[in-house]
Amino acid sequence: MKRRDFLKQTTFASGMFFVPQFLKAFEQIPTKTFGNKKVVIIQLKGGNDGLNTIVPFRNDIYYQQRKNIALKENELLKVSDEFGFHKSLKSLQNLYDKGFVSIINNVGYPNPNLSHFRSTDIWQTASDSNEYLQNGWVGRYLDYTKANPTKAIEVDESLSLLLKGKTQNGLAVTDSKTLYNSLREPFYKNVIESQSNAHLSEHNLGYLYNTMIDAKSSAKYIFEKTKVKSASNDYPKNVFGKQLKTISQFINSGLDTQVFYAGLSGFDTHANQQNSQERLLKTYAESMEVFVEDLQKNNNFDDVLILTFSEFGRRVKQNESQGTDHGTANNVFVIGKNLKKQGMYNNLPNLSDLDANGNLKHEIDFREIYATILDKWLQVDDTAILNKQFSKLDLV
Amino acid sequence: MKSTHIQHLFNRIGFGITPKELKRLSKKSKHEIVDEIFSNSKNTTPVEVDLSFLKDLKPGDLKDREKRQEIQKIGRKKVNDFSIAWMDRIFNPKEILREKMTLFWANHFVCQNKNILFIQNYNNKLRENALGNFRNFTKTVSKEAAMLGYLNNKQNKKKSPNENFARELMELFTLGQGNYTETDIKESARAFTGYNHNYYAEFVMKKKHHDENNKTFFGKTGNFNGDDIIDIILEEKQCARYISEKIYSYFVNENINKNHVEEMTNLFYKDYNIEKLMRFVLLSDWFYNSENIGTKIKSPMEFLAGINTIIPYNFEKEKQVLLVQRLLGQVLMKPPNVAGWQTGRNWIDSNTLVRRLRLPSILLNNAEITYSDTGDEETMITDLKSKRLKRKAIIKTKVDWNSFEENYKKIDNKSLITHVLQSKINPGTEKILLENIDIPKKDFCIQLMSTPEYQLC
Repeated sequence: MKRRDFLKQTTFASGMFFVPQFLKAFEQIPTKTFGNKKVVIIQLKGGNDGLNTIVPFRNDIYYQQRKNIALKENELLKVSDEFGFHKSLKSLQNLYDKGFVSIINNVGYPNPNLSHFRSTDIWQTASDSNEYLQNGWVGRYLDYTKANPTKAIEVDESLSLLLKGKTQNGLAVTDSKTLYNSLREPFYKNVIESQSNAHLSEHNLGYLYNTMIDAKSSAKYIFEKTKVKSASNDYPKNVFGKQLKTISQFINSGLDTQVFYAGLSGFDTHANQQNSQERLLKTYAESMEVFVEDLQKNNNFDDVLILTFSEFGRRVKQNESQGTDHGTANNVFVIGKNLKKQGMYNNLPNLSDLDANGNLKHEIDFREIYATILDKWLQVDDTAILNKQFSKLDLV
Repeated sequence: MKSTHIQHLFNRIGFGITPKELKRLSKKSKHEIVDEIFSNSKNTTPVEVDLSFLKDLKPGDLKDREKRQEIQKIGRKKVNDFSIAWMDRIFNPKEILREKMTLFWANHFVCQNKNILFIQNYNNKLRENALGNFRNFTKTVSKEAAMLGYLNNKQNKKKSPNENFARELMELFTLGQGNYTETDIKESARAFTGYNHNYYAEFVMKKKHHDENNKTFFGKTGNFNGDDIIDIILEEKQCARYISEKIYSYFVNENINKNHVEEMTNLFYKDYNIEKLMRFVLLSDWFYNSENIGTKIKSPMEFLAGINTIIPYNFEKEKQVLLVQRLLGQVLMKPPNVAGWQTGRNWIDSNTLVRRLRLPSILLNNAEITYSDTGDEETMITDLKSKRLKRKAIIKTKVDWNSFEENYKKIDNKSLITHVLQSKINPGTEKILLENIDIPKKDFCIQLMSTPEYQLC
């Protein structure tokens, strides 16, 4: 026997395997639909310097605190008498001019944590800063709606806390075909089909079996449903552009996925910030513009809301390495068709009222944005998912 | 000592055990075996790649742009070579426990650096101190060129303190979240000002950048330097507890048993001797409790090296070593961030699980694997340029089946199950395995390795 044929040759020929109840349940009961609105969440990983993104060029303190790295008025894409976009954000400005963008300033949370990992966890789990949760707010949305894993997709090789729920995880996918083909081997088919659900909840082994079963059903669904829709070829040829192209294909193929998550890394600019931030913001903005155009072409933009955040902003005062250190409150971008308050949602940051560490004070709790999206956009009980009540914004 | 206990011990302090070794050790007592493990790890054998290209270079060469780029290019290649050399060491460890602990510390004192000299030194410092004294270890780490660069401490100057290292020192290396204040961070950052290194990776204290004023840290005031700060931190029992918890969750169980960890903490706090702490763990009765056996999700390294212990193999194309590491989510020289790899269930999602299930037949049968290429996005934003985003590869390996046939000659397929799997087996899967008990031993072995159960040790 040729070694290569192993898997096919050792198929467990047997017709007696039953389909477990668990799988049947998965396949037959249509999940209740909670509307067809979609949310695309983008994280600028590393802590984007919001002050050099949306630049308050009328503010003297900005120039005093950032002697080497402040952006000059004539370098900016001016939007009003007060602020301008970083020059790399031309594409975002195009969207802004069409009324598709709302910029929420001073978003943060009480007692901010300046660690990337902890603050990312806080944003992903929607916890208080002294509270440690093991599941993300999107994961809890899956729990709440008793959804399939395919309802929330992270376009990456591995799954973040954001999409992990108590009873249900979302899915990390970069390439549904590979995933689909991998699990069609007879051996796995048999292993999966011979499970009864009695042991599925048992510790780590149960977790492994559950993951395997989820992977199979989901890969099949995504693969079969994703038609080879032609997506725009204008996405930047890099990882982030590819991620957005994949999301656009999924949305335009009519997948039932409601939440997508992708990220752009590299914003931890402690040293020599200018060049790297310039490059990253360009990648971000260009991808967003192509993405929105792609959705419009397929008449899907009305149902999509795009949320861009970073785990924190940077300190107002620059450091001596031509960079900035970890900060707190930051701006958040919301992109969508029928925003209630287009343009600047609220005031620019107050640079003269800083906390003891020289950081911006937050005005809007990031969970108010989540609450608004859950309540007004996805139309579910936000308090049940966020474990707490938050006031809503006038956003959608 | 019972066979299952010996297997358990070697799964945790190494990467499994061959039947021959198992048989030899089963006549010995727990104390004898543990003694043997430590005596085998007495020495330190550094992992090294050829650095002769650095010999003719002078510090001034880096000023020339072209030359610098060329050096950096060679350097990057050498870091990959080092990664491959390290994995080769994990596959063929001379000092088993020391190598396993090096992996542990690499995910504790997390560091990444593109300079091969710096990162090679750093990696071997981890190896050297792996069973030593935690106090010296921490001080050493704080002065390593690779770390001074990675957490920006060489940019930490009196005039403009950079808090990155001071923060992670407490958050990740010694105390854990929430056991210090922002003021502690600011004050201790001042104590680490002026720390730097020279071209040859040697530690240099730049006096003019060091803050000689008093700092107030954890209630003490004085003109502290970095070493003083580490000494003060280690006076906190929380530090001993934090390290004990990490050791417990890596070597024993991710579900922490507070009583067991408290026993470890009390012992470790006395003198921060890592070897003593490990000996205590491996000799304790609770280490061998059934809830700790076959319940830990293997890291990618444990998974890959574990297969190799049973069926020796090596990659024909060195680059594919890195590919496989990446597909499983653990590229040795590239931790995701300073918090390191998230372990346990975090190793497993749909993608990594599917790859793991298929990998034994791919590695041992030279099958094809398709993967999408996300590049090194965490680290190399400058490489965001055009890249092919989907590739196929045939993983080429040399498999030493003779060695497997020889080692498992006396073991029939039925008993092979307990040699390969330490976890409880799901009844449905067990039924399938038993129905196929008559297939050739090699195939049966690959099949055992292709189960969810094999992900546990």
